[in-house]
Amino acid sequence: MYSEVALLQNYLVVGALLFGIGMIGFLSRRNMIVMFLAAEMMLQGVSLSLVAWSRFHNDFGGQMLVIFIIAVAACEAAIVLALVLMLFRRTGNLDVAVWGELREDNQLPFEEPQLPEPPTEPSEPWPTLTTAGVEPKLKPEQTDYRPNV
Amino acid sequence: MIELYQIFTLATVLGAASMWLMLPRGGSGGAMRQRWLGALLGAVALGLLASRFPGIGSVVTESVFFILAGVTVVGAAAAVTFRNPLYCALWFGLSLMGSAGLLLFIGAQFLAVATVAVYAGAILVTFIFVLMLAQPEGKAAYDRTSWEALVSVATGSVIVGILSMTVSSVLTAAQRSGELQAAAAESLAQRVLAKQHTALLGAELFGRHLVAVEVAGVLLTAALIGAAVIVAQTNKREISE
Repeated sequence: MYSEVALLQNYLVVGALLFGIGMIGFLSRRNMIVMFLAAEMMLQGVSLSLVAWSRFHNDFGGQMLVIFIIAVAACEAAIVLALVLMLFRRTGNLDVAVWGELREDNQLPFEEPQLPEPPTEPSEPWPTLTTAGVEPKLKPEQTDYRPNV
Repeated sequence: MIELYQIFTLATVLGAASMWLMLPRGGSGGAMRQRWLGALLGAVALGLLASRFPGIGSVVTESVFFILAGVTVVGAAAAVTFRNPLYCALWFGLSLMGSAGLLLFIGAQFLAVATVAVYAGAILVTFIFVLMLAQPEGKAAYDRTSWEALVSVATGSVIVGILSMTVSSVLTAAQRSGELQAAAAESLAQRVLAKQHTALLGAELFGRHLVAVEVAGVLLTAALIGAAVIVAQTNKREISE
């Protein structure tokens, strides 16, 4: 037998945590897809709270609202990903800072901070062999092969 | 009561510090160490918060709840703070699984399945598809920085702190004064927790909310056509250029 008030309280706190973490992500991340993912996370937090209230009041109203939230989230995902794909084709990356030119006139432009390069792993030392014998003939598909296209 | 506020404030401050340490801020040296420190602080904050959760039943139900809530919140925090957007999407999937489990735990069977099917099944796969299409090599410079990490963490944690403190104190006070009455177990078993839960949900959805269902259908169709039009226009422009 659960204590209903305690259950409600726990769910509301977990929902608030999900909402807050999603909000931090939406405000701080620069990748458009990660921003959208954080927005979905905020919806999840609200859904949890609604279902908890639905259980508490023994009423299906909260769960109805969550069903419609899921439907709207699916629409939203389709539209947002189509838009992101379009913006990506225009600029070649997923950074929101690229669209800073849409800002108002009195706002300062965004300046890219000078980032130190991430530490790259030292490449594996390959053994050096002295060349010997006849040079093999390569097939054209071997010389044309590009691993990164 | 003062003790509750103190613990919640401490947990909020620790959680904010951990989120700030874990968010990408462009540094290179010691970034890994900072993230581990942030993860440790976050675990301490979650433990503090969990220590003030009121008990909900036997040890088994409580541990199930705490595992599910922990998976949800840790997955969410990791989804927001990882550098590689693909890892963000995968951690978000884990967080969705946790929240579907929480929905199932509270008796919302249909919504738990719908969350897994729609979010984890459809939306997440579309995310990963677009990520693979747009950014196949993974790491980019803009994933290693954040907008105003400190200010956004402060905003989010103030909201979480105020909400959780208010919820806890108001609910405790209302329960003590007898103002707040939860639905009785017998009536719950008749309706929200009934064995025919999904049938009752469907009856409600297609009875009282029939117009809303129609509107949602129109919205879905409009979104489908809209997405197709947006992509088709882009294609046409690229061909004409």
